Amino acid sequence: MNHQPFEDWLLDDESLTVQQERELQIHLRSCTACTAIADSNLALHSVRLVSPAPGFADRFQPRLAAWRRAQLRRQALGSIVLVVAVLALLYTLAGPTILEAVRSPVVWLREITTYLVTVLTLVSVFGQVGSILLRNLPDLIPPAVWFAMLAAGSVLAALWITLMRRLARAPQGA
Amino acid sequence: MKDESSLVLAAQRGSDEAFTELVEAYQTHVYNLCYRMLGEVESAEDASQETFLRAFQHLQRYDHGRPFATWLLSIAAHYCIDRLRRRRLSFISMDQGEDGETIELQDAGAPNPEAEVVRHEQREQMQGFLQKLNSVDRAAIILRYWHDCSETEIAAALHLTVSAVKSRLHRARRELGSLWKEEEIHSNHERRPHESPAF
Repeated sequence: MNHQPFEDWLLDDESLTVQQERELQIHLRSCTACTAIADSNLALHSVRLVSPAPGFADRFQPRLAAWRRAQLRRQALGSIVLVVAVLALLYTLAGPTILEAVRSPVVWLREITTYLVTVLTLVSVFGQVGSILLRNLPDLIPPAVWFAMLAAGSVLAALWITLMRRLARAPQGA
Repeated sequence: MKDESSLVLAAQRGSDEAFTELVEAYQTHVYNLCYRMLGEVESAEDASQETFLRAFQHLQRYDHGRPFATWLLSIAAHYCIDRLRRRRLSFISMDQGEDGETIELQDAGAPNPEAEVVRHEQREQMQGFLQKLNSVDRAAIILRYWHDCSETEIAAALHLTVSAVKSRLHRARRELGSLWKEEEIHSNHERRPHESPAF
């Protein structure tokens, strides 16, 4: 057998049959490259675990505590940054108005009063116009128009009732 | 000691005692991986502490269907690979520790002291060779031989496919074999410095 299968066996480092092992040993007597891989594999199979110096878990505790302190600091810093950011945003959006109001309270009190007076006046005017219309409308519209409006209303009501009944009778899931 | 899953559950619920027990249970595995990856005692200590800290930070993400040891080793391996990438050193001598003494101790109770000395030297040599491997190949070899992980477990830990793991192990063994051969040639030259090259 040539060199390659032996090298593959060694590089795969899987268990061999007795026959394969015998053939490999014969090959190793004449092949320095395969002998080096076999020796290296043998050394790998005899390795040992190394342990840390005693007290490893005790030495870990201060590190964990330091991390926790750092995390608390980070959280506190994060909260401060958030509050500052919110305040800055509020200042940017509403700052000029607030500053203006603080600087001259009489001006904004006058503006609010003017606004309220305007709204109340408008409501009062619309109320008066509405009551005048209600009082004079029956005299302005002729009886024929009243009759036509009543008839049209009745027809629309009848159509709506019919449509609703048909929709109610329609089969489910159709 | 409680069983692993109940300890992990307790730690996930915020028990520091449970997490400390987990640290004690897995410190050797994690430290060994970091030491084999980084090749220095101080770096290994720091990396293994960082591994446990990261495990603590991400404990809520741990999937109970997966072995805890593999999950921890995966964190350690990725951390070491990142650290090695940052470090960008090609080789770190592993022959001696900080104070000049060898790191692994000889087994005094070994039945054959000479054979044990040879094995000890081979292990030291292997640690030196490991540092010459690509960091991911190195992690695969360490998980395979030091932690008895299967190719599937290595694939899960290193986020690779099983065929990629096989290929990396294959390549790493070839490289280690070449380094072994070079070292033998070098040793033979050192043993016979007075002899003529013709011999």
